[in-house]
Amino acid sequence: MSDPARPTSTAAETPRKSASTEAVVPRPSTENVHRRRRAHRKHRGVGMIWSALAWIVGLGFFFPVLWMVLTAFKHEREAYTDPPTLLFTPTLDQFQAVLGSGMGLTLLNSAFATAVSTACVLALGIPAAFALSLRPVKRTQDVLFFFISTKMLPIVAVIIPLYVIVNEIGMLDNIWALIVLYTAMNLPIAIWMMRSFFLEVPPELLEAASMDGASLATAVRRVILPLVSPGIAATALICVIFSWNEFFFAVNLTAVRAQTAPVSLVGFITGEGLFWARLSAASTLAALPVVIAGWIAQNKLVRGLSFGAIK
Amino acid sequence: MTKQSTISRAEGWRRRGPLLPALIFTIVVTQVPFAFTLYYSTQSWNLVRPGSREFIGLRNYLYVFRDSQFREVALNTVILIAGTVLISAVLGLAVALLLNRTFRGRGVVRTLVITPFLITPVAGALLWKTAMFDPVFGLVNFVLQPLGLGDVEWVSQFPLASVMANLIWRWTPFMMLLILAGLQSMPTDVLEAGRVDGAGPITLFRELTLPHLRRFIELGVVLGAIYLINTFGAVYMMTQGGPGVESANLPFYIYQRAFLGFDIGQAAAMGVITVVATILISTLALRLLFKTFTATREAA
Amino acid sequence: MAEIAYKSASCIYEGTDTPAVDRLTLEIEDGEFVVLVGPSGSGKSTALRMLAGLEDIDEGTITINGTDMVGVPSKDRDIAMVFQNYALYPNMTVAENMGFALKMRGLAKDERRRKVERAAQLLDLTEMLDRKPAKLSGGQRQRVAMGRAIVREPQVFCMDEPLSNLDAKLRVQTRTQIAALQRRLGATTVYVTHDQVEAMTMGDRVAVLKDGLLQQFATPTELYDSPVNAFVAGFIGSPAMNLVSAPVTSEGVKLGGTTLPLERDQLAELHEHGLTSATVGLRPEQLEVAHPGEGVDVRIDLVEELGSDSYVHAHLTADDTGEPATLVARSHSRTPGRLGETIAFRKSHGPVHVFHPETGQRLAA
Repeated sequence: MSDPARPTSTAAETPRKSASTEAVVPRPSTENVHRRRRAHRKHRGVGMIWSALAWIVGLGFFFPVLWMVLTAFKHEREAYTDPPTLLFTPTLDQFQAVLGSGMGLTLLNSAFATAVSTACVLALGIPAAFALSLRPVKRTQDVLFFFISTKMLPIVAVIIPLYVIVNEIGMLDNIWALIVLYTAMNLPIAIWMMRSFFLEVPPELLEAASMDGASLATAVRRVILPLVSPGIAATALICVIFSWNEFFFAVNLTAVRAQTAPVSLVGFITGEGLFWARLSAASTLAALPVVIAGWIAQNKLVRGLSFGAIK
Repeated sequence: MTKQSTISRAEGWRRRGPLLPALIFTIVVTQVPFAFTLYYSTQSWNLVRPGSREFIGLRNYLYVFRDSQFREVALNTVILIAGTVLISAVLGLAVALLLNRTFRGRGVVRTLVITPFLITPVAGALLWKTAMFDPVFGLVNFVLQPLGLGDVEWVSQFPLASVMANLIWRWTPFMMLLILAGLQSMPTDVLEAGRVDGAGPITLFRELTLPHLRRFIELGVVLGAIYLINTFGAVYMMTQGGPGVESANLPFYIYQRAFLGFDIGQAAAMGVITVVATILISTLALRLLFKTFTATREAA
Repeated sequence: MAEIAYKSASCIYEGTDTPAVDRLTLEIEDGEFVVLVGPSGSGKSTALRMLAGLEDIDEGTITINGTDMVGVPSKDRDIAMVFQNYALYPNMTVAENMGFALKMRGLAKDERRRKVERAAQLLDLTEMLDRKPAKLSGGQRQRVAMGRAIVREPQVFCMDEPLSNLDAKLRVQTRTQIAALQRRLGATTVYVTHDQVEAMTMGDRVAVLKDGLLQQFATPTELYDSPVNAFVAGFIGSPAMNLVSAPVTSEGVKLGGTTLPLERDQLAELHEHGLTSATVGLRPEQLEVAHPGEGVDVRIDLVEELGSDSYVHAHLTADDTGEPATLVARSHSRTPGRLGETIAFRKSHGPVHVFHPETGQRLAA
């Protein structure tokens, strides 16, 4: 296949003449190198433009959020200016004011509802995902179809009876009502997503473990769960994002005691006008936990949002 | 034979066991209330007039269809969803293409881009209503001032478009993520083969990349539509559906009728109508999901 | 140490009518190395998994040392299995992988450590004990899978195509290692493969399966010398036996204008069945290359050079059957002929195999 003359000659020449390349290498070749370098440079120049554009777009999308965070550190008079104020002395006054006016409780409520509902989702969802993947039940497809179809049901279609029922059993303005609903809201996504992780586990591992004398429970605990734990963590983070950000149930079913952070923001648009800096501080506090959760889970975000269909 | 079948029945229950809690829980929390919604939609029931409750058959549906506000709201909902989804998909494709190259700080840029999707929707809506769209102090007018457009009252003059702008800002990252996943799952050897066959970058994109992305874009559009049907916080925070019902969508309108108008029967009927309409999109979504899902299984 | 017996054991997968394994009866002696071989879909893996307790025995039974295994979970059968993809626990180190079964059995830590180290030494894995499977090469993973099986000192080893993920050279090496290891440990071993070379070189006895049915269970030489039917004849041996349909004459069968003489009892049986044609089988090494007219005239289609010998693929020039029958001969010559050249194949040694043209059953022993 190869030309026998060429490789040997170059192999013999290269080490000897490397010191004086300029003199030995014939002209056309130098030309060629230059042309290639020029092309490379041009290519890199175009690449730089695209990279710069990507950065501009990224910053553009992020800018409103950045602005919100900046405003949160302003005094109220610096928040309303035309042109907008860029340079200012940061202050924590707004955060203190916001937390002093009772937002702390709503943040705690949100944290509690999010944590408990996510724990419930995992407790119900992990066994279910297992039963729909590694040791599948009959009619697995139908069950999956059912779970996903509940996500297709607009929430407004059930809010009225939910309100009536929750009211009747005296659970209005009770955080546990939200926990139950958030669990139901996230369970289908979690099951689909975790199933997609379970499916990546070779089924022989379960068989190998059972041959090695492990019971099913031991095999799952010792062999399967350690393998899917990154997937479970990503699923949990996605549940955290959805339940923390939830507004519709919270605004309809809670009032004072069980109010969550997003609902507490409503208080800033009613009443005696807007306080931008304070509003921004409250928004920042409300948004921060999920933004961080989302940044951590970003590689698995697509998988959660597409119900595990896209890896 | 009987012995064998009892064994397999026991095995069947052992397999079903772990599934049942989740299944029963989901049925109870999602299906039972919907059955009630169906039932309420046949009642004339206003909470303000206790004791007025009676069965009126399908008359609520008749009232709802005669309600010109409902029709306007339904149209708003379609515009809001279709507009947001389509514009987000186009922008998302563009951003995904930008982010599909390797460059310094790509991870950071991606993190920045997805942030609008993560931020609490209510906070995002407030941010747009105030810091972005305020007629006097807002950033949008500040930027547009040199163009002589500096005094538009965005939220009151263009309420629906303002809500949509907020939603597009929020959903473009979602589309971008899906499309980027598609771009990254594109086998490079196909592109290389195309290049060897003499195709330029534009031809490559049109003939190879776009067909490969189609599935991902479709999925993004359909999933986006399903998530967007539940849009509530943005309308609630930015416009309260106003002026009139000019910027109200179905969730907000139903909420208004039920919790501010206390008309349970009609609100329930609207809910049922929303579900029926959603089923149309959902069937499509499910088919796509299952197709994508099985396709990726085969590939694995 | 264990004797294994399949007694009309069947396995029927849900939603299918034909059994994956159909009334399999096999008796495996203590310490024997038995290979189950067959094409894909023949039920060989299913048969193994039934023994391991990974598939239900829907009909019949399997016994180990006379104990009925129906309904006994795999963990109580004292069987170790080597999987095709090794199925190593990715979250555990090599040592933990090998010691997992011992841990499940409740063995003390130092005893576990001792047994694992001994097995590791045997398999040259001592250096790798603290590594995770992901950090190992294919061959090393395969050895860990073996180690995980032998460390338990089980009654029975089950191996499901354990070499199919190795490259060709390593496969040959590991083949001999496994065979040697098994002789040394003396444990009854059931080994599944689709590769008939593996089956022939490793097995004390080989069971050939097709479509869930056992075709023949015999020693490698027996399989080679007297296959019970045309399927086994064609499956065992590489390149495959030449199987040609030929008309029957009074002295033998007619092949390409010449008569191939048959043994007397073969002829007798053909006449007894009233057959006018038969499927005859000749192994490539039973044919030698000769000048035209000295045997069956053929035209060369392809010559495969292997260095030591060559295989000559050719078709009959004078074809009686209508369809151009092709034959392969093994030649010790490096230049048996050129493409398109007409030569002759001549039967050199050994009996002609004769099979029933419809059932494929062997006629006369």
